[in-house]
Amino acid sequence: MINKIDKTRKSFDEEISKVDSSASLEELRIKYLSRKGLVSQLFESLKDVSKEDKPKVGQALNQLKIHTQSKFDEMKETFEKSENKSESFVDLSIPGRARPIGSKHILTQTLDEIKNIFKGLGFSVYEGPELESDYNNFEALNFAPDHPARDMQDTFFVTEDFLLRTHTSPVQVRLMTEKKPPLRAIMPGKVFRNEAISAKSYCLFHQVEGLYVDTDVTFAELKGTLVAFAKQFYGQDVQYRFRASFFPFTEPSAEMDVWWQPKGKEGRWLEVLGCGMVDPNVLKNVGIDPEKYVGYAFGMGVERTAMLKYGIGDIRILFDNDKRFLTQF
Amino acid sequence: MKISLNWLNDYISLKDISLEEILDKLTYAGLEVEEVEDQAKNYENIVVGFVVEAKKHPNADKLSLCKVSDGKEEFNVVCGAPNVATGQKVVFAKVGSIIPNGKSKIEKAKIRGEVSFGMICSERELNISDNQEGIMVLNPSLKEGTSIADALEMNDVILEIAITPNRADALSHIGIARDLSALFNLPLKYPEIKLNESGKKSNELASVEIVDVENCPRYIGKVVTNVTIKESPDWLKKKIKSIGSRPINNVVDITNFILHEVGQPLHAFDLDKLDGKKIIVRSAGNDTKFTTLDSKERNLQSKDLMICDAKRAVAIAGVMGGENSEVTESTKNILIESAFFNPSSIRKTAKNLGLLTDASYRFERGTDPNITLWAAQRAAQLIQETAGGEISFGEIDAYPKTITKRSTKLRFSRLDQVLGYHIESLEVENILLSLGFEITGNSKNELMVNIPSYRHDVEREIDLIEEVARIYGYNKIPEVSKISVTLEEKVDHSAFDDKVRVFLNSLGFYEIITNSLLSEETANCFGKSIKVMNPQSSEMSHLRPSLLPGMLTTISNNLKVNEKDLQLFEIGKVFEQLSEAKINSFSDFKEIEQLLMITTGNFIRTEWFEKDRPFDIYDMKGLVSSFLTNLLPGVTIADKYSDNDFQFFDYAFKIVADEKNLGICGKLKKEISSLFDINQDVFLFQTNLNELKQISIPKKTFKDLLKFPKVYRDCAFVLDSNIRSDQVAEVIKENGSNLLHNVKLFDIFQSESLGSGKKSLAFQLEYYDPARTLTEEEIEKIFSKTVKSVEQKFNAQLRGA
Repeated sequence: MINKIDKTRKSFDEEISKVDSSASLEELRIKYLSRKGLVSQLFESLKDVSKEDKPKVGQALNQLKIHTQSKFDEMKETFEKSENKSESFVDLSIPGRARPIGSKHILTQTLDEIKNIFKGLGFSVYEGPELESDYNNFEALNFAPDHPARDMQDTFFVTEDFLLRTHTSPVQVRLMTEKKPPLRAIMPGKVFRNEAISAKSYCLFHQVEGLYVDTDVTFAELKGTLVAFAKQFYGQDVQYRFRASFFPFTEPSAEMDVWWQPKGKEGRWLEVLGCGMVDPNVLKNVGIDPEKYVGYAFGMGVERTAMLKYGIGDIRILFDNDKRFLTQF
Repeated sequence: MKISLNWLNDYISLKDISLEEILDKLTYAGLEVEEVEDQAKNYENIVVGFVVEAKKHPNADKLSLCKVSDGKEEFNVVCGAPNVATGQKVVFAKVGSIIPNGKSKIEKAKIRGEVSFGMICSERELNISDNQEGIMVLNPSLKEGTSIADALEMNDVILEIAITPNRADALSHIGIARDLSALFNLPLKYPEIKLNESGKKSNELASVEIVDVENCPRYIGKVVTNVTIKESPDWLKKKIKSIGSRPINNVVDITNFILHEVGQPLHAFDLDKLDGKKIIVRSAGNDTKFTTLDSKERNLQSKDLMICDAKRAVAIAGVMGGENSEVTESTKNILIESAFFNPSSIRKTAKNLGLLTDASYRFERGTDPNITLWAAQRAAQLIQETAGGEISFGEIDAYPKTITKRSTKLRFSRLDQVLGYHIESLEVENILLSLGFEITGNSKNELMVNIPSYRHDVEREIDLIEEVARIYGYNKIPEVSKISVTLEEKVDHSAFDDKVRVFLNSLGFYEIITNSLLSEETANCFGKSIKVMNPQSSEMSHLRPSLLPGMLTTISNNLKVNEKDLQLFEIGKVFEQLSEAKINSFSDFKEIEQLLMITTGNFIRTEWFEKDRPFDIYDMKGLVSSFLTNLLPGVTIADKYSDNDFQFFDYAFKIVADEKNLGICGKLKKEISSLFDINQDVFLFQTNLNELKQISIPKKTFKDLLKFPKVYRDCAFVLDSNIRSDQVAEVIKENGSNLLHNVKLFDIFQSESLGSGKKSLAFQLEYYDPARTLTEEEIEKIFSKTVKSVEQKFNAQLRGA
């Protein structure tokens, strides 16, 4: 019996030294270590061994089992390691399974930027309708009927009394009519101008209106607030200027220009927003006492701002929605 | 408006101020200089030359070979003009100069074997006249080397100034000079009137009657007799040309000159053509046609203000004179009209006629009723100077409705309050005085101010505050460095839409913005649209009743550039007319904020891990479901399938939450997409954001994590292929007991082997009890009951059973 055990051990050792793949190792396992393998068979025949020999043979058998098993495990591990290596060549250059993400329209993104700056300065955000009454769009804002000031804003009329708003200022009127001061809000939205479509103008564009009404609002604060905006939006080193202008709903009125310096070209002043102190007539029209309250208002075009910022030369491309354009932003 | 700097110098001395400074100050003060034309720049390197010697060109009969001096050097110049001669002072264009006519650059050139360093110019080459017969011979007293711009006084600087509609007072050279005088603290001088009157009185030669007093508060007539109509003198032609007008004749040019000098439009009538030598100012009434002096017949409206003689209309008041009374070469006696008309009347007439003239532009903004007399006298004087004749004594001054002086007060405290900055009271007074305001009273606290009659834009205290701030300089008012934030509730109307955008972006959708205006034909296909009264074109005559046409146009345009795989959305207002009648109030139409999402083309373009696959309805359904469940967390969202005939869809379903509509999702009809030349499937989801915003979102509360295991059972049924999966799922749920928490469809299989008209649906059922571990037996019992009920209900067979 001991001989048999030795013989098995030798043949196992011999065979395992010849094993060259996990497949041949598996064959070896089945031959020796499986339920009906040679080692098990030897254990089977233990019952035929005489009582006095049993401990010795049993011990030898156990050693054989440990020997074969550990040799096998060792070999298996070696194979796993090496084979894993060849299996695990991961070609990291293969493109990943991307999940496309869309984007907001560049005008919305620009508007977001503007909104975030003003929200940080304590402004609310209000919206209003695009199809407005002549009263809200003009009359309440101190545009006298038959005044040439109306020519400043070519208007699409739907009837004599209803029109596509030419600016976001009617939202001011709505806000001041509905709520009591203090009021500090910006009012973004679409506005319309009855102009021929060209590289420079489109029949609609987006505007952001700003309004602040309280008892201690000043022109100096209007300037400070808009400069703070310009610095955040255009950069801390932005050059700016305020010059007198005219809007029927503000007085004094101003326009703010920033210095625009395209690379390799002549720089110039570009108008970026109109502003001023809310005209007392406007406050009167919405039932706010113009002696007690003072307000400022401003308005800027989003298209113009975005075109400047991103170097877009033709306004129409903003409304063409070409995928090759959309995916750039 | 064009303003000549040389002309301005007639009223204010700007010699010591740099052009730069003038431009800056004007622009800062609200008179925005948009363009500057420096005439001298047109004549750079063109100087007065002295012909030292002119002899025949050795190789050409018609050419001369000259030596021209610029005072420093002598140049060889080949000249083709027959009149060139030794000793002349000529216009010498040096090498490097650009000839104003034709813009050609002068370079060193070899002409018939002789080198020429420059060119001697004709009047035509300088754009002075059409004369090209020979060179221009200059006054011998001019010094050689002087720039031609200075020598010929072509050194004007022309400013193009944008005048805002409130500043009618600035629509003239004196108007601009007045602001400059305030800005630079320089005196403003009006030209002096020196009249040499003789013969009869004006009111003996003509008469004026104002019928429409409301629209013509003042009308002055002044007569000049025995004039000679001819070409204007050079100084006048030059002035008229400098502001971009064309000289006509001396009398017309004088009226034009005064309009640009002081802003008062004048008209000169041929007095002998006025029937009854009478002017009647009245509304057109029954007159319906009138021929203006440009020989065009105009259609009048009864309220248009007309200037008439005893029999007929002779001019459209404040807009344009008539052909029947205009000054011609044979005119001898003239009546100068200098009037003040009601701005809104002139504006209406000019608008109706579509006729914008220099005169109407000024009248509709408001002219100075008090300058009329000065202007009439100035015109008479200048007409006499240029056209001879006799100025009759006095004027006919019909002034039935005296325009009263206006005044207001300015409180210094209010000025400080509005500006947030203190300007010294003395400085405030100075600014107002220099603009022509009169201070009629001043105290420590306020000023009483008379407003000049040319400032129609100034009425109230705030107007004076603006004047002070504007001249003082906005840039000198320091901006605050901190602000106080008021504590009222902050609102963001746009927050919901922003959330929508972020979710849609994360699902792969790009935002688009399309035109809100459509053609009538397109608009009417998609709803009851609202018409624009005055559209730019028929392509943009109606408000969009839906976002769909704009979206389909976008898809179509993208297909044209071979961008076929699109996932787009738009958020925008759409408009719908509610009543048949005209829109009279906000209740006659609806303005709705819509959201439209589309997918079209391929979801996947072939990748290494997956083959090409076009978008289908289930992609859209899934995207919409992801979108809505994230946008409306906790809201129970359900689909509603019906066989409704949807107008725009091949097939579609509604999405609801508690009977509230959340939108419609489906596949666009081919007939619709083909209208836009789209030849691929379009899947879309459309919703009303106004309604979506109204859905109340339940408050989130934490749910305990499950402590006991979930148990899953799978089953597949073979059943008729026209049975909807949700019907089966419903029966499973109904019979699944309260331990069944989820039913998931995980396989759909259709094959001949199942029998025709059959399909297999496989579901995974999820069971658990939050309070205990479930036993195999109880699950088995519920599961087999569920299976049986499905089998019975749908005549289905459990697969593999």
